[in-house]
Amino acid sequence: MTASQAGDGQALYVATSLGDAVAALAARAPHAVPLAGATWIMRAPIRQERDHRAIPYVAIGAIDELRRIDVNDHEIVIGACATHAEVAARLGGLPDCRGLAAAAGNAANPAIRRIATIGGNLCAVKFAASDFAPALLAAGARVELLSAAGERELPMERFLANRSTLIPGSLLVRLVVPRGQMRSAHVRLPLRKAGDYPVAIVSMAAKLAPDGIAEEICIAVGSVEPVARRWPHLESEMTGRKLDADRAHALAAADAGSFSGRDAVEAPGWYRVQVLPALVRRAVEILQAQP
Amino acid sequence: MTAMLPKGAAMPIALNVNGEDRITLSDPLTPLVDVLRDALFLTGAKAVCREGICGACTVMMDGKPVMSCLVPVGIAAGHDIRTAEALSGEGEPSPLQRAMLDHDVVQCGMCFPGMMVTLTDFLEHTPEPTREEIKAALVGNICRCTGYERLIDAVLAFAHRD
Ligand SMILES: Cc1cc2nc3c(=O)[nH]c(=O)nc-3n(C[C@H](O)[C@H](O)[C@H](O)COP(=O)(O)OP(=O)(O)OC[C@H]3O[C@@H](n4cnc5c(N)ncnc54)[C@H](O)[C@@H]3O)c2cc1C
Ligand code: FES
Ligand code: FES
Repeated sequence: MTASQAGDGQALYVATSLGDAVAALAARAPHAVPLAGATWIMRAPIRQERDHRAIPYVAIGAIDELRRIDVNDHEIVIGACATHAEVAARLGGLPDCRGLAAAAGNAANPAIRRIATIGGNLCAVKFAASDFAPALLAAGARVELLSAAGERELPMERFLANRSTLIPGSLLVRLVVPRGQMRSAHVRLPLRKAGDYPVAIVSMAAKLAPDGIAEEICIAVGSVEPVARRWPHLESEMTGRKLDADRAHALAAADAGSFSGRDAVEAPGWYRVQVLPALVRRAVEILQAQP
Repeated sequence: MTAMLPKGAAMPIALNVNGEDRITLSDPLTPLVDVLRDALFLTGAKAVCREGICGACTVMMDGKPVMSCLVPVGIAAGHDIRTAEALSGEGEPSPLQRAMLDHDVVQCGMCFPGMMVTLTDFLEHTPEPTREEIKAALVGNICRCTGYERLIDAVLAFAHRD
């Protein structure tokens, strides 16, 4: 299908290749929007957003290239339309990817994990409780975007901070996660044991020296503020020191006030901030227990 | 597969449901559950929360349980859809459904078609589950009546029958 054929007036265009999707989006700009797993898009009426049937969607979920997950010794390349279940299954056995696999394998519920994609998760700009966002921040991932103007790659941090201007007209095509001797943990607090949105998330990745000193540490917090972000003060206080769960808890408690918790129906902002030190402690304990 | 599904002019969408070819003229963004119930009169799947939480609308798509309230019918085109109606052959309950009856598990029944679809798939992949595994599999299927314990007891009894 050519770009000119994919003109206005179609509610859903099912793209068969990456080129086809980019052309269809460009031909129907500025209103066309990608549709991946549709689990966010189909809930638009519940969020009382404008009639989503008026939006021309370009379905990208069937594009093989976007579903691939390639693993080599240096990096993991995850296609934007890989589902949570596929990411969890593929990364589950990799010792340096425990945090990311936990994010993929514990978000939502099994039926949603089979359909919702990593790209859709990151591109649902108003979704504050994303598990992937903090996990990918902690993992030092990069994002690859593709538009009619060409390809660009940027760090996850910059992508998350500028999503609302970056996404229109662009497709998120891949996530690139560097590999190394990292331990990682993803600790989330849902109100039920499982199946609902996390109130707060702490993702942590660290490179430990044989004596237990944290040579590098990256800590990201999700679901507390509207957008996931790193915790630079805690990172600098913990780098170069032996991992110590009590000390990490105390440091987190002293600096948790640097977060402005968001109020939402499932939890008030102050509560999200208050639980952070406990999640930090748990994350450190998980890192310590990893071989 | 390439599909152009124009808005306004209703384009037929071809579905395969429970092994039968069916056509719908619905808008391609209509939730699959509404097409199943309102156009194809397959009322097993229930639209309860419409947000992927309760699992009452669970059907199989290409052999995997999914929430049909969040699947646009235009995306379901060309995929193999199986609903709770396909679990029983010729009106006879499946062995799992029979076990539920025997253990007197069902109360209002609102959650049950979705439960049966999820559990049928789960038991195919996990024939000898533990209690914890059953609970994890049912995270996306909410039952307001049974409190789950009786249901889990029935699944365990069924799975570990001789
Ligand atoms: C009941 C329930 C519970 C959930 N719980 C959690 C949870 O605990 N943790 C969690 O992280 N997630 C959770 N989710 C999932 C999350 O809320 C989103 O629904 C999901 O991740 C969106 O993915 P999708 O592939 O369905 O995206 P879609 O609905 O297809 O798209 C979402 C947005 O991203 C855009 N988009 C999609 N793909 C791309 C791309 N490649 N490039 C550019 N833009 C794109 C779309 O245009 C749209 O704006 C839950 C979902 C449900 C229904
Ligand atoms: S109606 Fe679909 S999950 Fe509740
Ligand atoms: S039997 Fe009533 S909701 Fe489950």
